[in-house]
Amino acid sequence: MKSYRMKLLTILLGFLFIAHESEANDNLLYSVMFLPKELVKDANTVRRMEAYEFNLKKPGEAVFKHRYALTILNAAGDRYSNLVVYYDKFFEIKDISGTLYDASGKQLKKVRNKDIQDHSGVDGISLMDDNRVKVHDFYHKDYPYTVEYEVEVKYNGTMFYPEWFPQSREYLAVQQSSYTFTCPEEYDFRYKAYQFASEPAVKREKGLKSYTWEVKNLPAISREPFSPGMRQIAPLVLFGPTAFEMQNYKGNMSTWQDLGKFIYTLKEGRDQLPDIVKQKVQQLTAGVSDTYEKVRLLYEYLQANTRYISIQLGIGGWQPFDAKYVADRKYGDCKALTNYMYSLLKEAGIPSLYAVIGAGRYREDIFTDFPSSQFNHAVLCVPMPKDTIWLECTDQFEACGYMGSFTGNRHALVVDEKGGKLVKTPVYGVDDNKQIRIIHAKLEMDGTIELDVKTRYTGTQQERIKALIDHSTKENLKEYLDEELDFPTYEVADFKHKETKKRIPEIEESLKVSVRSYASITGKRLFLVPNIMSRDGRKLSADNVRKYPVELRGAYTDIDTIVIALPAGFKAESMPKATKITSRFGEYQNDVSIEGNEIKYYRKIVSNEGRYSAEHYKELVDFQSAIYKADRNRIVLVKDENAAGEKRGF
Amino acid sequence: MRTYLIFLLCLLQASSSAFAQDKTNVKFGNVKADDFKQTVYAIDSSAAAVVIADIGETAIVGNSKGWFSWEHVHFKRIHILNKSALDVSTVTISLYSNGDQEEELSGLKAYTYNLENGKVVETKLDAKKGVFKDKLSKNRVLRKFTLPNVKEGSIIEYQYKIKSDFLFNLQPWIFQGEHPALWSEYSVSIPQFISYVFLMQGYIAPHIKDKKDSHGNFTVISSGGTSASERYTFTSGVTTHRWVMKDVPVLKEESFTSSIANHISQIQFQLSEYKEPLQYRNVMGDWQAMAKRLREESYFGGDLGKNNGWIGDMIDPIIKEGGGQLAVAKRIFTYVQKNFTCTSSAGLYANENIRTIGRTKRGAVGEINLLLTAMMRYAGIFADPVILSTKSHGYTYAMYPLIDRFNYTISRIVVDDKEYLLDATNQNLGFGFLSPECYNGHARIIDAAATPLELTSDALQESKLTSVLMVNDEKGGMLGAVQKTPGYYESAVLRRKIRGSGLKDYMSEVQKSLPSEFQVADPVVDSLELLEMPVKLQYNFSIPESEEDIIYFNPMLNEAWKRKSIQGSQSFLPGRNALYF
Repeated sequence: MKSYRMKLLTILLGFLFIAHESEANDNLLYSVMFLPKELVKDANTVRRMEAYEFNLKKPGEAVFKHRYALTILNAAGDRYSNLVVYYDKFFEIKDISGTLYDASGKQLKKVRNKDIQDHSGVDGISLMDDNRVKVHDFYHKDYPYTVEYEVEVKYNGTMFYPEWFPQSREYLAVQQSSYTFTCPEEYDFRYKAYQFASEPAVKREKGLKSYTWEVKNLPAISREPFSPGMRQIAPLVLFGPTAFEMQNYKGNMSTWQDLGKFIYTLKEGRDQLPDIVKQKVQQLTAGVSDTYEKVRLLYEYLQANTRYISIQLGIGGWQPFDAKYVADRKYGDCKALTNYMYSLLKEAGIPSLYAVIGAGRYREDIFTDFPSSQFNHAVLCVPMPKDTIWLECTDQFEACGYMGSFTGNRHALVVDEKGGKLVKTPVYGVDDNKQIRIIHAKLEMDGTIELDVKTRYTGTQQERIKALIDHSTKENLKEYLDEELDFPTYEVADFKHKETKKRIPEIEESLKVSVRSYASITGKRLFLVPNIMSRDGRKLSADNVRKYPVELRGAYTDIDTIVIALPAGFKAESMPKATKITSRFGEYQNDVSIEGNEIKYYRKIVSNEGRYSAEHYKELVDFQSAIYKADRNRIVLVKDENAAGEKRGF
Repeated sequence: MRTYLIFLLCLLQASSSAFAQDKTNVKFGNVKADDFKQTVYAIDSSAAAVVIADIGETAIVGNSKGWFSWEHVHFKRIHILNKSALDVSTVTISLYSNGDQEEELSGLKAYTYNLENGKVVETKLDAKKGVFKDKLSKNRVLRKFTLPNVKEGSIIEYQYKIKSDFLFNLQPWIFQGEHPALWSEYSVSIPQFISYVFLMQGYIAPHIKDKKDSHGNFTVISSGGTSASERYTFTSGVTTHRWVMKDVPVLKEESFTSSIANHISQIQFQLSEYKEPLQYRNVMGDWQAMAKRLREESYFGGDLGKNNGWIGDMIDPIIKEGGGQLAVAKRIFTYVQKNFTCTSSAGLYANENIRTIGRTKRGAVGEINLLLTAMMRYAGIFADPVILSTKSHGYTYAMYPLIDRFNYTISRIVVDDKEYLLDATNQNLGFGFLSPECYNGHARIIDAAATPLELTSDALQESKLTSVLMVNDEKGGMLGAVQKTPGYYESAVLRRKIRGSGLKDYMSEVQKSLPSEFQVADPVVDSLELLEMPVKLQYNFSIPESEEDIIYFNPMLNEAWKRKSIQGSQSFLPGRNALYF
């Protein structure tokens, strides 16, 4: 015991000695010597220290300091070594400083102001916004190394507080990270922690209160197939105001109702239409009694007469341009177009609700238990006795009332003069998202197969092909089809698409395809996979121990019915067995039979959406793997010598 | 009678060619109801928008800064036929800036025309509020606007003027754009005292190509600080060149052609001389003059001629390891490649001097390869920079010494009479290898003779070897080993993947590409860091015992390429007991 202590003392003394010897600017704590082994495992970068200090001076103003040191262990971590800070008039950068250290913590370089680049940050979607961006990079490549940055930002609007999400990505370990929120004692800020149990340490002095959260030694996460996003599995604390200010607008965010009220205030009274548009609305809806039909007519009028142009300047990031602006220019962003549609419906006597939502294909839902601005888009909700209509107002091609994977199946905040409330948008399930395919195929002696394919896509399954039909030329569509089908060599001789716009939109596709060497012939045998176009590609590796839940997104049903005409003179040598599998994740069946010289094949897969606990992962692997195999089962046909002989006789 | 008829026919033909359209009647603001009638144009029945007229005029004028400027007026009319082309109504004008001054945009007017109840209704862009300015970078300022009231069927028009003091940047013209054009016309008036080389490119013959001589008055005012400004006025001959292309189709991007930039119809200009009454100056010169200038300029070869003792701090230990010039050259190359970060995908010049590059350990392509050249020279190795244009940047002309056509600098060294072309900015390519982007024809060595060089893509032939071995195991399953040696450039891709995300991630990709019953294990990569060699990847796999009597197996594993003529022939291998051949 004693000798152990002595040893420790020696090491400590040694350390102090080194510390004393080295330059004052070195930081030996960043030496990789002090990096615990478990933090290096699976990591490309390690957050050595991090301090968020958010200091709310008054409801409309705050100062935010963010200091961190990140050790880059290898080339894969390089892309995180730079500093990227977006800013605009609400977020003013006061100061940026930084230092580069080598593996031992020795200082190599400091940030010089002239090395900080300043670019336009216009987002690529917008015609114009306020965003600019400052970027700095040490361009160091000698691994491992550590970068330390400190950024000070002044908040001139307080609708958003920075969140604390120290482990925001895969392969990132965290040695230490803390967040301190300071504000006047009488101010009530709000917070909510996820995947994090500890309570903050609270300090009160001089009329201020400060709350501090801290984590230490989080090993790197490597996500697993179908695991939920990082925000569902790593520690996260969200912060939000009660009273806040944004460019002379005051609001409160204590409840969804309060936040809704603020959003409503920004759009209130912006619904005055010019007379000419009012007349148009009356004219379009005259004599139509069905409400859905009226909505559809006006929605199509919106689509034919406006387009999406995004201009986000100042409060304009949250406040829509008024209806007259859109009527005059025939364009607007999501807010302006939604407000315009609201105004059109209002003129037709149909009440609707402006709604904000987090849009994105299969984007994770907002945290419904923490009122804060977690949205990036606006849509319109038209309440109906049953089957409320939701309208995406920025898309000139969408079917009336369809939200799909972009805004479906999640919570939106609908607002009116009373405030806001969360409402779930439509869920598209296995009966909505279908791919029903019928193939008539003819197999030639040389293995070529000629296909006549008719496919009906509905719901989310029609989205991809619809985007192509809407936004590209017939030639592009042909190019897509030439690349997309899962055959080594094939030709699309003809194709056609027919679209039907309805609540669950539908596209019918007819293809004529010729696939060379589809079946292979070896001696007198012919090998053929009867499942021609729906081989499921998802295959999972059976990981050792599953940590995270399984999340399957996007439910669907696929049905294939195939008839293959064989060349004369073959008989079956080996036929795959019929398969039928049911699991919590869905069901699968296939069946193949031969009658005369026709092969009949049937395949059906139903894939459910949902979240399943980690222990069920093995089941998913087995399910997928059984499907993978069943989809590739092949028939072996052999030349029927007798039959061939008879033929020769003719 | 017969003679008469023939004569008449000839006459008819002559008169019809005399009436061949040499002017468009499309004028700004002159949109009529009839113009909306056509919803499909013969030039391209599937076009979502058609450019009715695209007309540009550029002239050189005297300015009040003691020199000359150019003024460019651009007018464009587009008919939008399908809503998928509404984007044409958002217009971005790119202006050059040298940091202090920038090209000036003025006189912008833009209108949308719609046919409503048989009448043309026009909507004007609010040019005061509706034009946004976005400072993209030090040298690029964007002005952006979007037209109001645009829908399917609209006709839009805009016109603006650019004034520029940057004579070297004379407005180019692109005849062939994203949408087919019925009429694309450009005229440029150049006074006799300035010469430009015209660089015409593309496959479309101009409908009209002519020039007219006239005279013009030029007034130059120079204000000499405190003294009164001086004013010079003189007359000079002016030649107006005019090109018209009719019915210009859209150029389709074909795979396997090097780059669309090399093929679209366009004209660019290169300042070549100043002449009487100005003091004669050959701006463009010849290749030798260009090479001489580059060798002397501080932003290119200026530092290469110096002693550069500071380089020793970096590479003296490397040189001292000895082993002959080639070995030293390779070590220097590897040193630069490993320790310097390339911050650009191209680059000709050194914006910072190479000593700074040496200190900051980062730079653009040109900067790093110029430093490499300096290091080679320091080590006594014969080295010169080479300039080229990458495929995506377009061709260079062996005829004209036009520096603007080049965008990439590499280094050439000669050791034991053997020549090596080096690019230390690509982390995945070895000594003596260039990326396929560099193989774009004509290039120049910046030595005294400005020696030309031809980089042809035939040098990029690839071959690849994959072998698969399989045996039965005692339990009735199978064990296999795969060894794969891709070609050199595919190796570079593999290197980037494995270095970027690790062998583990790469192998899980491999695992996914194989049939589900396969389990891969024990991956080994050879030559990952030996950049001159192709990578060698080996792994084992196993297939558990199967219930089926026969296992059919594709020996190409995941190697079958889509859309290529190589196809894995299917064969089957013995299962548990049966030998099936």
